Parts: sequence; C-alpha cells; structure tokens
Amino acid sequence: MSAGPGPLAPLPDRVVRDPVLLAFADEVGGVDAGPVAVEGGRTQWELGGRSEPGTRLVRAPAGVVAFEPAEMTIQVRAGTTLDELDAALEPAGQRVALQGLPRAATVGGVLCVGLSGPTRLGHGHIRETLLQTRYVSSEGLLVTAGGPTVKNVTGFDLCRVLVGSYGTLGLLAEVTLRTRPRPQATAWLAGPADPADLFDRLYRPMSLLWDGETVWLHLEGYPEDVAVQTAIALEAGLQPMAGPPPLPTGRHSVEPGVLRRFRPDRAQRSGFVAEFGVGVVHGEWPGPTQGTPDASVVTLNRRLKQLFDPTGRLNPGRDPLAPSNGKADHR
Amino acid sequence: MKLPLVEDELASCVSCGLCLPHCPTFRVTGEERYSPRGRIEAIRQVHVGNQPADASFVDMMDTCLQCRGCETACPSGVPFGHLMEAARQGLNEQTRYQPWYRRVGYRTLAYHRALVIGSRALALVQRSGLVPSRRLGLPDRLPLRVPALRPQTVASGAARVWLHTGCVMDAWQRDVHAAALAVIGATGTAVTLPERIHGAGCCGALATHAGLVGVARAQAEATMRSFPGEDPVLVDSAGCGAQLKDLGHLLGTDEASHFSTRVRDIHEWIAEHLDRLPDGVGPRRTVSVAVQDPCHLRHVQRAHLSVRRVLAPYLDLVELDDEGLCCGAGGAYSVLQPELAGDIRTRKLESIARSGATLVASANPGCSLHLAAAGLTVRHPVQLLAEALGLVDG
Amino acid sequence: MDGTLVAELSASLSPDRVHNDHLEQVLYGRDASLMRGDAGVVCFPLTTAEVQACVRAALRHDRAIVPRGSGTGLAGGAVPLEQPLLIVTTKMTGIEVDLDNRVVWVQPGVINLDLTRHLKPLGFHFAPDPSSQQSCSLGGNVANNSGGPHCLAYGVTSAHVVAIEVVLPNGELAVLGGLGADPAGVDLRGAFVGSEGCMGIATRIAVRLTPNPPAVATLLADFVEPAQAAAAVSAIIAAGVVPAAIEMMDQRITQAVEAFVGAGYPTDAGAIVLVEVDGLPGGVAFETEKVREVCMAQGARSVRVAADEAERMLLWKGRKTAFGAVARVKPNYYLHDTVVPRTKLLDVLRQVYAIADRHDLIVMNVFHAGDGNLHPLLVFDAREPGILDRVHAAGEEIVRASLEAGGVLSGEHGIGLEKQPFMALQFTQPDLDAQARLRDAFDPDGRCNPAKVLPAGSRCGDLAHLDAHHRERLLADGVWV
Ligand SMILES: Cc1cc2nc3c(=O)[nH]c(=O)nc-3n(C[C@H](O)[C@H](O)[C@H](O)COP(=O)(O)OP(=O)(O)OC[C@H]3O[C@@H](n4cnc5c(N)ncnc54)[C@H](O)[C@@H]3O)c2cc1C
Ligand SMILES: Cc1cc2nc3c(=O)[nH]c(=O)nc-3n(C[C@H](O)[C@H](O)[C@H](O)COP(=O)(O)OP(=O)(O)OC[C@H]3O[C@@H](n4cnc5c(N)ncnc54)[C@H](O)[C@@H]3O)c2cc1C
Ligand code: SF4
Ligand code: SF4
Ligand code: SF4
Repeated sequence: MSAGPGPLAPLPDRVVRDPVLLAFADEVGGVDAGPVAVEGGRTQWELGGRSEPGTRLVRAPAGVVAFEPAEMTIQVRAGTTLDELDAALEPAGQRVALQGLPRAATVGGVLCVGLSGPTRLGHGHIRETLLQTRYVSSEGLLVTAGGPTVKNVTGFDLCRVLVGSYGTLGLLAEVTLRTRPRPQATAWLAGPADPADLFDRLYRPMSLLWDGETVWLHLEGYPEDVAVQTAIALEAGLQPMAGPPPLPTGRHSVEPGVLRRFRPDRAQRSGFVAEFGVGVVHGEWPGPTQGTPDASVVTLNRRLKQLFDPTGRLNPGRDPLAPSNGKADHR
Repeated sequence: MKLPLVEDELASCVSCGLCLPHCPTFRVTGEERYSPRGRIEAIRQVHVGNQPADASFVDMMDTCLQCRGCETACPSGVPFGHLMEAARQGLNEQTRYQPWYRRVGYRTLAYHRALVIGSRALALVQRSGLVPSRRLGLPDRLPLRVPALRPQTVASGAARVWLHTGCVMDAWQRDVHAAALAVIGATGTAVTLPERIHGAGCCGALATHAGLVGVARAQAEATMRSFPGEDPVLVDSAGCGAQLKDLGHLLGTDEASHFSTRVRDIHEWIAEHLDRLPDGVGPRRTVSVAVQDPCHLRHVQRAHLSVRRVLAPYLDLVELDDEGLCCGAGGAYSVLQPELAGDIRTRKLESIARSGATLVASANPGCSLHLAAAGLTVRHPVQLLAEALGLVDG
Repeated sequence: MDGTLVAELSASLSPDRVHNDHLEQVLYGRDASLMRGDAGVVCFPLTTAEVQACVRAALRHDRAIVPRGSGTGLAGGAVPLEQPLLIVTTKMTGIEVDLDNRVVWVQPGVINLDLTRHLKPLGFHFAPDPSSQQSCSLGGNVANNSGGPHCLAYGVTSAHVVAIEVVLPNGELAVLGGLGADPAGVDLRGAFVGSEGCMGIATRIAVRLTPNPPAVATLLADFVEPAQAAAAVSAIIAAGVVPAAIEMMDQRITQAVEAFVGAGYPTDAGAIVLVEVDGLPGGVAFETEKVREVCMAQGARSVRVAADEAERMLLWKGRKTAFGAVARVKPNYYLHDTVVPRTKLLDVLRQVYAIADRHDLIVMNVFHAGDGNLHPLLVFDAREPGILDRVHAAGEEIVRASLEAGGVLSGEHGIGLEKQPFMALQFTQPDLDAQARLRDAFDPDGRCNPAKVLPAGSRCGDLAHLDAHHRERLLADGVWV
C-alpha cells in the first residue's frame, strides 16, 4: 500500500463522521459482504435490468442534514423522499428541480436512474442539481464526490458518472443539491399549434409537450413575463389549461431536431407525448429513434464498472447501458 | 544577447494571453511564435541569455507588423512597441540583421526629391507592365505627375497650423494633402507647409520600426526642425502622426517631448472644428462607407473615433466587426512578408465584405495601398470629406 | 532523438505543422500560470484524423501527450512535463450550427468569444463566459469546466456541453454524450468535462445554443466597506433573486482596472459590486429594483444602472480585464480560486486580507461573488528575493481558510499542476482513489497529460483486498497509515 498523497492530510471535516452514514457503510459492508443494492421507493425498480436474485437489499438513510436558505443548497440523505424534500424547502420559497415525479421516489433513486422529468427544458437535466454526494464504494468505504458549494471543479467529476449509474458504481448515502427560488407565477396552456413555431417565439419556456397535434405549454416566472408569454401562446391558438396531459407509458430518446421535422399522420398522433426541445418521447414513438452507442463507449462503461466494482457486488443485474427505451414508465 | 530595452517593461507581461486574438499574425497562424506573448517571451529568453538570437528568433521579430494591436488589448499595459523596437535595434547593432540595401532604402526616405523622382520612374515602369504592382502592394497607378500643393488663402490674422507632408505620402498621395488643405482652409484656418531645405521629409517612422535608431533619430530631428514655432502640426498619415507624437521617447529630449504635444492627427483637429465647416453639398452618397482603422491611428494614437466624428455628419458609415485588427500593410511589411500580409488582408477583406460597404475610408497611405491592391476602392477620410463639402471633385 | 517521431508526424500532418525548434519548445513550456515545463514536439493538427495520427505516433514512441488550447489556463494544466508531444488545437477552428437541435458543433480551437460573435446574428450565444473569453478555446473550456460571471444563473460549461467527440489516449475515437435526450450508459460526457486533458483530446464539441435574453440590465453598486458589499451579495441571493451575474471588486483592483479601461468605476469605493439581471423585461425591471433596494439597504453609496449597451460593455470590460490590470501595480500575480459558502464570504475575505498582511503582501480581490468563488490575487515582483516563498505560504493559508469555512479548492480554474498538493486537504485517500479510477477508465496507462490533477500516491493499490481493520482505519482517518 502506498503512502498518503503528499505531506498534507485531509482537514478534519472532510472525513465523514456522521454516525448515520457510517452505520449505512457498515450495513453495506466490505468486499466480502456479498451482492447488495439499495431499494428506494421502488418506483422504477425494473429499469436497467432485473435485480439478480440473492442480492441483499438495503435502504439508504433518510432525512435533511442541513438547509441554509441563503446558500440555496440542501444536504439530505439519499433515502429522503421527494415529498420530504419538498416539505423542507417550501417554507423558504425554494425547491429542487426534480418536479413532476412520483412523490414516494427517493432522491437517491431519482439520481441513480438519472432520467429527468418534463421540466427539463426549463430546468436543465437533473444531474445539474447534484453538487456533492457521499456514497459507499464497493469496498464499503465512504467516498465524497464533488463539493458542497454551488461551483466546484476540484478534481475529476465523479458525481457525473454516479447519476444514471443505477447504483452499480456506488451506493448513494447523502447528497447536496442546488435549490432554486419558486416562481411567482405559473401557467399551463394547450391547443393545436405548430410546436416549432411556438418554441422559436417563446423565451425559455418550462416545458412544451406535443402529441403530434396538440401542444401543452408550461410557463413560469414573474407575473408580468408569464402574462406576456401567455399572450403569445393565446395568439397561436392555445387556451389556458389546468395542467399537463397524462404521460403515456414508455420512454424513448430522440434528437430534439427529429421532433421538429417529424410530421405524424393521423393514425400516429396521440399515441405519444413528446418533450419538445428535449427529445424525450413518452408512449409509442412512431418516428426514428436513437442508434446504439459506439463500441468505444461500451468499452468505457465496462471498464468503469470493472474499476469501481471489481467484484461486481453492486446492484448486479442492472446495467446503465441497457436501453431505457420503452421500458421505463411514469406513474 | 542583451537588448537595449527597459527591464521593467519586459517584466510587465504576465503571459495571460489576452492579447492573442488581437494580434493579426496569431489570428492567421494560431501559433505562439507569431503572437505578442510568444514574441515577448522570446525577447526575454534572448535578453537573459538563455537563447541565441538565431534565425528562428529573427523570424519571430520580422513577422511582427508592429501594428500594436496587442498594446490596446493588453490590460497590463505592456509597451510592446518599445520592446519590439528595442529587439530590432539590438539585432541591428549586434548582428547583420538589416541588409545594406534596406538600410540605404530607409535613408533615402529623407531625400524628398529623390523619392518623388523615383516614384515617377516607378510609375513609368509600372505602365510598361514590368512590375507586378499588386504583389508588391503598390497602388494600381502611381501618379505620373505630382500636383503642386497650394494652401487656401484665408483672412489675415487667422489661426495657423502646419501640415506635415512627409515622404512617401507626398510622393504618392498628394491629392490627400490637397484635400486636407481644402478642408483646413474651409474652417478659416491658414496652413503653412514645411520647408524642404532642411533635408526634412520623412519623420523616421519606418526606420524606427526597423530598429535603425540612428537613421530614425536623424530623420525625426530634421522633421521636427522643419516646424518651428508653436502652431499645431497636423498630420494626415496615421503612421507619421504616431511617430511624431512619440518623438519624446525616440529623441529623449524635452524639446522633442514638447514638440510632440503640438502634433495632432488631422481628424482630431477637424473634429474640434466641425462647427466651422459648411454643410455638405449635393446629394448624400448612397453607398455606405466602411471605416478601416489604421493601426497607428487606433492602437497607437487611439484617435480613430475622431474619423467617425468627422465623417458621420456627411456619410453613412458602417463599422467592421474585427475590432480594428490590422489589415496587413504594416509599412514595408506587405513587401517583406507577402504571405502573412496576404492572409491577414484576407481577413480584413472578409470583414469588409460582411459589412456590405463598397467604399473604404482609410487614414494611412500604407493601408490604402495594401487594400487597393486587393481591388477595393479606398479613399482617405479627408478626401471623402472634401468631396462631400464640394471642395474637390469626387 | 525526436527525428523519427518528427518525420512520422510530418508525414501525417504536414512538415510546417510539426515544430521542434528549441525556442518554440520554450514558448510552449508555459501557460498563464507561473509554472514552467518543457515541450517536446509541438504539433498543430487540423482534423480529428490528424489528432488521432498524433496520438498514435506518440503511442508508438512511448511519449506522453499534452493537449493545449490557447494557453490561458491558470493552474498549469497545459504545461508540458518531460518533453511530451504537445497537441495544440489553435488551428482547429471549424464551427457548424445545427439550429434544429439548438446546438453548435465546434472544433476545440474555436475561441469562446468568436463563437458567441458567430452566433449573435442568429439570436444565440454560448453562455459560459470566462473573463479570458476573448482568448480561451472551447477545448480548454471543456477540459477545465470553465465558468464565468454569467454562470451564476446559466451554469458552468458542463451544463452546456451536449456531446464531445474524443480521441482517447489509445488513439480510438468515442462520442461521449449525444444530441439525443438520454444517451445510453453513464454520463461519460460529464466525466470528460473538467478532466483537464487527462482523459483524451476533445476534437469536436456540441454545445447548447442559449437564446440571447430579450432584456438586460447591469448595475454598479459602490460601497465604502468591503463588508457591506459582501453582505449585499448574500442579501441579494437571500431575497430570492438569482441574477445572471454578481461580481465584486475591492478598492485596489478597482483602481488598477480603472486606469486601463476608464469605465467610470468609483476609485474611492471600498468595494464595488457589479450585478447583471437578464430575461424578459418584466422580471428584469423587478429584479433591477430589488437589487437596488437590497444594495441601498446594505449601505451602498450609489447604485448606477448602465444607460446603454456601450456603458454595459465598458463596465464588463473592466471586470474582464482585471487580472491583467494588476501588472500596473506589480508585474506578477498568484491566485487561488477557492469557493466558499456564500454566507461565509465576508468571514473568509477578512481572513484573506489578514493573511496577506501577515506575509507583507499586496492582495487584490476580484471575484464571482454570486457563487462565492474567490480570486484573491497576490501581486508581487518575482525579482524580489525570497518573495515566492511568502506568496506560496500565504496561498496555502488562503486555501486552508477557504476549506475550513466549508469551501472547495477550485471553482473554475482547475487543479492542473499548481494546486495538486492541496487536493489532499480537501479529499480523503479513498476519495482520491475513486477519482484515479475514473481517470484510469479513460487512460489506463496514464499517457494523457500525466502527473496532473491528482497528487502522486492518490491510488491505493490494495483496496480490492481491504480487510475489515483497514476499512475501519480508512473510514476513521481518510488516509493510509
Ligand atoms: C422530474 C422527473 C420526472 C421523471 N419522469 C420519468 C418518466 O417520465 N419516466 C421514467 O421512466 N422515469 C422518470 N423519472 C425517473 C424516475 O421516476 C425516478 O428515477 C424514480 O422515481 C426512482 O426513484 P426510487 O426511489 O423509486 O428508486 P427505485 O425504483 O427504488 O430504484 C431505482 C434504481 O436505483 C437504485 N437506487 C435507488 N436508490 C439508490 C441509492 N441511494 N444508491 C444507489 N442506488 C440506488 C436501485 O437499486 C434501482 O436500481 C423522472 C425523474 C424525475 C426527477
Ligand atoms: C485573465 C484570465 C482570466 C480568466 N478568467 C477565467 C474565468 O473567469 N473563468 C474560468 O473558468 N477560467 C478563467 N481563466 C482560466 C482559463 O482561461 C480557462 O481555464 C480556459 O478555459 C482555458 O482555456 P485555454 O484554451 O486557454 O486552455 P489551455 O490553457 O490551453 O489548457 C487548459 C487545460 O485544458 C486542456 N485542454 C485544452 N484543450 C483541450 C482539448 N481539446 N481536449 C482536452 N483537453 C484540452 C489542457 O491540457 C489543459 O489541461 C482565466 C484566465 C486568465 C488568464
Ligand atoms: S502582452 Fe499583455 S495581454 Fe499579452 S500576454 Fe502579456 S500581459 Fe497578457
Ligand atoms: S505589434 Fe501587431 S503583429 Fe506585432 S505582436 Fe503586436 S499585435 Fe502582433
Ligand atoms: S509615414 Fe512613413 S513615409 Fe510618411 S513621412 Fe512618416 S516615415 Fe515617411
């Protein structure tokens, strides 16, 4: 074993001392403790492949660790549900950009699955909310990835590969997330319209859904701005609505440009709801889809797994490369 | 090899690289050796003795246009022009850097008559088709006959100014001087032209850039003496203006520093006297005019905005989108480094094309010739002004 | 010794784009940091295939490779060690806009500001705007996950990069990420962004087009005390406003910058805060008022709103050229770019001044206050004997103060060579080991920009056979003993 890196030792607060996290690490155990996976809200349990029989299931700890409204960050344990998270943030007029999801889902589960919800057009990908995570490695050690501040480029960015990893590279114990102010006004509108035309005329809408015929538009912001944008939508033939349409089961990924060019015939319409400007299609997608990844990308994924979990004990059966097309659903 | 530079000036470069895109030679090559930061580092390496002043070093120095675009871009205030001149001076003094024929050439600039005659000879040869003007960056047709300059008569007791007539400018672009005289006259100001008898003519700019400090000092000294008294000295060539405004640095005397305070670019001066000019005559030109900022006006004198102030009341101006990047003329540069100069000019031509302008205003003879050689219609701002005022024919 | 390597490279590229002149090796031995190294062969590829040829040639000759963009990095990331093959991207400047997908594909040598200028007529821009944006390359931005004033609201480079074509250290090509909504596999794109040239060479980058905001307002608030300015920054965020940018400059830097740009900064202010709000007009008006109110409440002497685009640009020019302007005070600077929690800004700032005083150094502060990203510039004259030791000692104390306040080592400049030793302050050994594994997935032989970012000894070779006792110790101390 090599000596420590350089003459400097980690500052005391960089070594995890939270007994709850240490207990979780012990529960996960070291390399000899056998296959293990985290069970979150089980809302996307089938995604990424079936859990191998014999895998021991553990629960990630839950609860808010720290929330400082003026920082606009929140530190929570990974087993916290979205409901609990929201409840903690609401009084401060804040939220985390993980909207429109099953409320029983856990923060850790949402990040490990790594699929954004329908406000991605406005909020960006959910991975952008993750600032720091403490996870239990294949060896049963607590590892800190990223940093607690809103900006950080210190070292290689482990947080990125953990999002969407299905817990095959590490088990999330705690996360620090970026929060945002809640909007002062929001509006939903819908009606038959050309989504591309509308998209080009609006300034950064929160989401724009399209089923081949009808467009649903979600606006958020200051009341005056929402009013101005609403006027544009009304002019384009949309009407105020209570909320989004139910999203059909099934999920496909396409290039956003494909949606611009796709002209569905009558029979193809309304079997799907597409996130315009993003490229996620819920339901049955009749148009062209994304190809399979390059061989070199497959190799990199495999090598990463090999290096992070040499014994293959983390969530066996799940594979981030497994196509999420059509399998994932939204309840 | 110790170079005759000020070490504090050398130390002021923090190697941040903010100047890179403002350097025309870096822009067209993307190479550190053709960048201000690279050149300064090379100068430093040679100066402290880590590197010989070899061919590679000379190439780095020679390919610099001395446009000083890097100076206006540099937040640290690195006086690049001084460093480059010192490097060239060092090379001149300690190596056989400038070949003899170039040294003689620079000296000739002081002999006004010879220049006018030489230019006329060249004009004849040109018409015979023996020299490739475009490649040499010469104007398409050098003037055969050089019109005599006659200042306007103004009311007695009127304020007086000098007009610097220079060397190459006087030989090749005397109609610019004629336009300048007309415009100055129109403000009711009297003009005096310098006497040639002192051997004056060239301000010494080209020699300064070449690092031939001795030649430069002699030429500058003579030019300075040809403007006695306290009247302002107006200059209609950006290169000469830059040189004459910096004589304090070159000659290092109080007299020279004082002289420099009298020097004004003609546009600066006209801008202050705009209210004395008559309204434009005839229909306003329908084409829009792109203002090309000669480096020595923009980056050295920093007086380029006055060209706009002077022209805007009479013409529709368009701005180029290249932040005043050099056109590649750089005095004798277009002849000495034709390839780089060509690439740099191409960028400028693209920018002019994007602007939609069909006419270019340029306040420096070098730039005008270089751009005209690419087929553009280039006029001096003073000419455009004189035409708009109906003082000369367009 | 480089004869055959040069010959092979010359054949694959062209002789005029393969240099190994000694002077040139010196020029390419440094970036904008204080570090110096030695380049081996310097090549200037034009295409992805040429980059692959360079990497393969290096592989055959068992030479390390170092990618380099514009060389404006402040941490020595592009500084070559032990004469590697330097792959300079400055001649790779192609731009292809794909409006349908709202992305633009660029070659890595494209200059950040050139891209934004190119997009302007289309109504878009590239959001990350490092203060070096006039010079730095997109490849460098990706490699350093660069930020800039406007990243407060828009996010840093990572949030804007959709896909990256990479020549891997073994010479193979991979497209990380993709234009589609959910590319398969884990987010390798995200891992590559910020990898400081250690995971391969980006040869094409697809970045998102950000629509130009319909309205913008830039405010300049001036305060007598830096403490008031720092309090105003926190108060703005706490008021629920997330401006596009919040920048702060203290008196010394304000004076130095004013001498260069003449932006009309109040040179007698203890600190100035530059705030920009953008978006739709209603929100801009609301936030402008709110920011003004908050600043006045925190004791601002005045809050000025830029009257027009020209004034806006001038205010920004001052901020963006600040680092260079320090040379007007002393010819050298050394800086850290730690990030501290916004609420600790004032506290850490006080310590920074005290540390500089203790070491008898001049410190100037100009920084991305909105996200707590400090840039304390220690200015000095390197010719003064012994000064570098003092500068480094002060630097280390500043890093410690920032980390002790709960911050991180680097907000945007990266670790490179310069900040490597401090990695061990922020991370435990298992943390560093995990980062080393991430790197190894891309570059198992450590050929690409070796010896950067992670300090030597970051890998704990025997973790796979960790026994219970050692696991306990590692959990308790964070280091091997
Ligand atoms: C706004 C939004 C909208 C979404 N919309 C959709 C949609 O339309 N369609 C869709 O298919 N998905 C969607 N998702 C994703 C999906 O809903 C969530 O990922 C899901 O709710 C997972 O949460 P869970 O706690 O139920 O995880 P589970 O279903 O319990 O687990 C999912 C997987 O993650 C692993 N895991 C869970 N927690 C951890 C942990 N702490 N550490 C390591 N591994 C862990 C599990 O082992 C399992 O493999 C959306 C997500 C968001 C944020
Ligand atoms: C005055 C000044 C102000 C600055 N302001 C900011 C700021 O506000 N925000 C900020 O974030 N940074 C700032 N910086 C730092 C610097 O400009 C950025 O880090 C920038 O992104 C570096 O780009 P570059 O092209 O100069 O890269 P280089 O310095 O050439 O290289 C930087 C790193 O990127 C790697 N690299 C370069 N190209 C590639 C490629 N194609 N593929 C893989 N790796 C590559 C190199 O190996 C190196 O590790 C500033 C620097 C200066 C001098
Ligand atoms: S000349 Fe000025 S701008 Fe250029 S690198 Fe040096 S300090 Fe920076
Ligand atoms: S003077 Fe002009 S050519 Fe020479 S280094 Fe400066 S910008 Fe480049
Ligand atoms: S500009 Fe050149 S040609 Fe004209 S006088 Fe000055 S040195 Fe002579």
